[in-house]
Amino acid sequence: MKGKTGAILFAGVLLALCAVPAVAGKFTVYLLIRVMLLGIFALGYNLLLGQTGLLSFGHGAFYAAGAYGLGFCWLHLSGHPLAGIVAGVAAAALLALLVGFFCVRHTEIYFSMLTLAFGMMVFSLIWNAREVTGGDDGLVGIMRNPVALPGLGKIPIGTDFQFYYFVLLFFALAVFVVHRIRTSPYGLVLSGIRENARRTEFAGLPVRRYRLSVFVISGAFAGLSGSLEALLESNARPFMAHWTHSAEPILVSLLGGISTFAGPLVGSAFFVGMREVIQRFTENWMLWFGIVLLVVIMGFRGGIVGVAEGLLKGRPPGGEG
Amino acid sequence: MGKKRFSRRQFLKIAGSGSLAVAAGGLGGAIASPKWVWGATPAVKGPIKIGYQAILSGTLAGYGEFHKLGVVMAVEEINAKGGIAGQKVEMEFRDSTTKADEAIKNARYFVDSWGADYLGGIDSSGQALALAPVMAQLDRVLMVTHAATEKLTEDFVYKQGVKQIFRICMPTYNDGNAAAFIAKDFPAVKWSTVSPKYEYGFTCWKMFQETLKKVKPDAQFVAESWAPFGTTDFRSHINTIMDAKPDGLYSTEWAGELISFVKQAKEAGLFEKVQYVMLPVGAAMDVLEGLGKDMPDNIWISARYFFQYPNSKENTDWVARFYKRWNHYPAYVSETGYSAIYAYKAAVEKAGSKDTKAVVAALEGMEMDSPAGRRVFRKEDHQAIYDVPWGKTKTDPKYPFKVMGETKVIPAKEYFNRPPFEGPGTSPPFK
Amino acid sequence: MQSFVHVCLAGLSNGMFIWLVASGLTLIFGVLGVLNFAHGSFYMLGAYCCFTVLKHLGAGYWAGLLLGPLAVCAAGFVVERFFLRHVYRIALPYQLLLTFAFVLIFDNLVKIVWGGGALSAPSLAFLGGSIQVLGRKYPVYNLFIIAVGPAVALGLYLLLERTWSGRIVRAASSDREMASAIGVRVPALFTGVFVFGTWLGALGGGLAVPYVGLLTPGMGETIIIEAFIVAVIGGLGSLKGAFVGALVIGVMSAFGTRFFPTFDMFLIFILMAGVLLVRPEGLFGGAR
Repeated sequence: MKGKTGAILFAGVLLALCAVPAVAGKFTVYLLIRVMLLGIFALGYNLLLGQTGLLSFGHGAFYAAGAYGLGFCWLHLSGHPLAGIVAGVAAAALLALLVGFFCVRHTEIYFSMLTLAFGMMVFSLIWNAREVTGGDDGLVGIMRNPVALPGLGKIPIGTDFQFYYFVLLFFALAVFVVHRIRTSPYGLVLSGIRENARRTEFAGLPVRRYRLSVFVISGAFAGLSGSLEALLESNARPFMAHWTHSAEPILVSLLGGISTFAGPLVGSAFFVGMREVIQRFTENWMLWFGIVLLVVIMGFRGGIVGVAEGLLKGRPPGGEG
Repeated sequence: MGKKRFSRRQFLKIAGSGSLAVAAGGLGGAIASPKWVWGATPAVKGPIKIGYQAILSGTLAGYGEFHKLGVVMAVEEINAKGGIAGQKVEMEFRDSTTKADEAIKNARYFVDSWGADYLGGIDSSGQALALAPVMAQLDRVLMVTHAATEKLTEDFVYKQGVKQIFRICMPTYNDGNAAAFIAKDFPAVKWSTVSPKYEYGFTCWKMFQETLKKVKPDAQFVAESWAPFGTTDFRSHINTIMDAKPDGLYSTEWAGELISFVKQAKEAGLFEKVQYVMLPVGAAMDVLEGLGKDMPDNIWISARYFFQYPNSKENTDWVARFYKRWNHYPAYVSETGYSAIYAYKAAVEKAGSKDTKAVVAALEGMEMDSPAGRRVFRKEDHQAIYDVPWGKTKTDPKYPFKVMGETKVIPAKEYFNRPPFEGPGTSPPFK
Repeated sequence: MQSFVHVCLAGLSNGMFIWLVASGLTLIFGVLGVLNFAHGSFYMLGAYCCFTVLKHLGAGYWAGLLLGPLAVCAAGFVVERFFLRHVYRIALPYQLLLTFAFVLIFDNLVKIVWGGGALSAPSLAFLGGSIQVLGRKYPVYNLFIIAVGPAVALGLYLLLERTWSGRIVRAASSDREMASAIGVRVPALFTGVFVFGTWLGALGGGLAVPYVGLLTPGMGETIIIEAFIVAVIGGLGSLKGAFVGALVIGVMSAFGTRFFPTFDMFLIFILMAGVLLVRPEGLFGGAR
């Protein structure tokens, strides 16, 4: 999906998203907010996975940093949502810098295991530091105060509909930024590192620094998503840092298509929507979800977007790995 | 394994179908539907939709199934007798999992998408706390049937005014305060604990310590060991306790973990060294059945409901009906789930309306009879006050599991924290 | 002294138990290069199948231990032959997610077949009970586990080092193409190794029945993380490493719980990260 067609398609999608609250019910609006949150998380994450080829199991820790960052800001500093988001993203980025510094020394399975270890360390820290973080009860009661902007007055984001547009703004921003990163020279280097790290290094590029920077960038997006969720659900919880949560952006990127731009977004929509549909018919959603996953990995490794693109170009679906 | 398990397909069709035969048998003959009573006041539009969620996957999946048994039975009975205010009851069940965001999503689905009038369930305290502000937004009553944290009612209902939350089950007051009242009469002075390493475990132990210190000033607390969620090997924790040589052991471990803990403690000879053992949620059916004869005698156990108490006609009849229906003794969440549905019925019929404000007003201060005995919903914090037993385990040839022998019942009024929940005179003992 | 000995015993039995579960995981990674998330599910299936033989066929525990894991091998065969085999050459995320998909499927299947409630294992007649060690009781079965651990380790060592088939396995794991070139039917071999690894995991599950005393759907989830950590610390693919790693983790956990209880999980993950940073091949890992 290149250039103009892609841009037009996304403009169309954004317009459609703007119109949704007018036609859909409250629950659909809520689900879409969740899709967008997961989409932001996965989109940023896929810069690391799909673009650079690094599989991290610890990004939930940065998501949690975003949520708790916003929570602490709200409790102790300022109730302004934007201040909280800045605090959350900053906390996530800083944590990602710290963790990434250690993790990017290695690759492949060792990188993955290291990120798992650090992520679970953060989880354990949050769970055990009860006095500060509230333990497994988490930080509760975070309110959505109006966004006070100079010149524009106080914009309320309290209702679901209002908050939907607030999130939509950040979603559009995230899509724009990630797209620019992917198609920039920087993004090209990242792809090069994925394809052949050694050759990229021989070309004179500091591979480890690139890895660290994309680690931090993807961590910042995780933090953004986390702080937005803290505002949505009014709480921050330790399980955000657990490796099972870290697995979600991997799953949805895979479902949508790891090597595509829109894959993580489509995957997020599909994941949330499919889960909801399955749950209306059976409690055994885990079984059906596992089967879907199996089918995708065995036969449609390009993911939904990959397969769609392939069909449009006349290619049969199947693996490209 | 002879328990009739309950599949989703079945219950989706429960509203007004094959349940009639069973319910009729249990209730002794069909009576003409009392619809005529409500014909005069068609204020309540049907159908009545109840959304219920409990843990249906993972290590605690059994609890969700226990909830269902009680809830389904209640809905069957009510529909057979004409429903609530003459309208049929429809129910939908969802897996809450253990994650708070799942519980929130389910609650929103129930209310915003499915159109539920009333919500019930919730096993985890963390989920209950996360749900409180959401219920305020959704403006429907949530009747909590398992989650025990006192913070839910003291903070969210009383202090912050989230009127939509009610709790029908016994909270941590029994696990902490009542246990201390029972313990004060024991000669045991040095107490120890192996408890879950999360808020529930910390809260109960703290409450037990504070209250015991007040009623028995010479009590000492010599050892504590905290087991993370999912612990299967308790041996190191058991070693910690045995090294400290206490007289008493207190543990709020529950469900499968309690089963593992008791088995392993028995193997280590803990119960021979420590004479006074208190398990505030040890009288849960899954624990008693799971342990069978491996549960030692003379352990003090309690639960949020125990099928042998009270020894009233209503309770014994209900237990018999339940056993006939499901081939299983009722777990405490089966009773709280069952009673939660009847509480709603009583509230709607009293208020003559499904409107949340009216239901809340009807529930506040409402007294109801249930298998667990008489319950009163306290106006200030919406917590149901009722009595539960503490008993010493004993073998009874009638049952394949240990039951309560010597029983002590402390009136709930004497150990429930009282509003305003802060300052002197709000926690037991009361003058 | 009594305290110290009992903490050691607790650590040893826990460590050997984790070794038994991790051995299959390590073998599969060492030979096939696949990190099998679903290993925890095979463990769980092993426990449930053993329980079924024990309780419902009334055949007793030892028959369950024999037959249960064998039944699980069928599942392992299906997973490798029809699914995993096709993704060996593909990027890591797909392999991991494939095995993760099976975790979801198996966990849910267990719930459907055996129900969601916790199943309690009856106490053993033979090897049940406890003996006195320095004045405190210690279960006989735990001593059995402490003995089985090294026995399995020795068995695996002899199998891989001293037998002809073991030699072929080692050859195929270090150089797939070469082994194939000299006539080894590598795909069939890999299936065999995977099934054997599955059997080891399921055996761990069967042994868990009296050790943990309780079966729940989802019981595989905590053990798989412990097994992963052990495998990483010992050196991914090294059986010797996994054995030593399990001992270290088991004993460390026991001492940690007893004497430094505050940050249990945290310490274990720090150790894991530390090993990965300083010596990523683990204690005994070779080039992989």
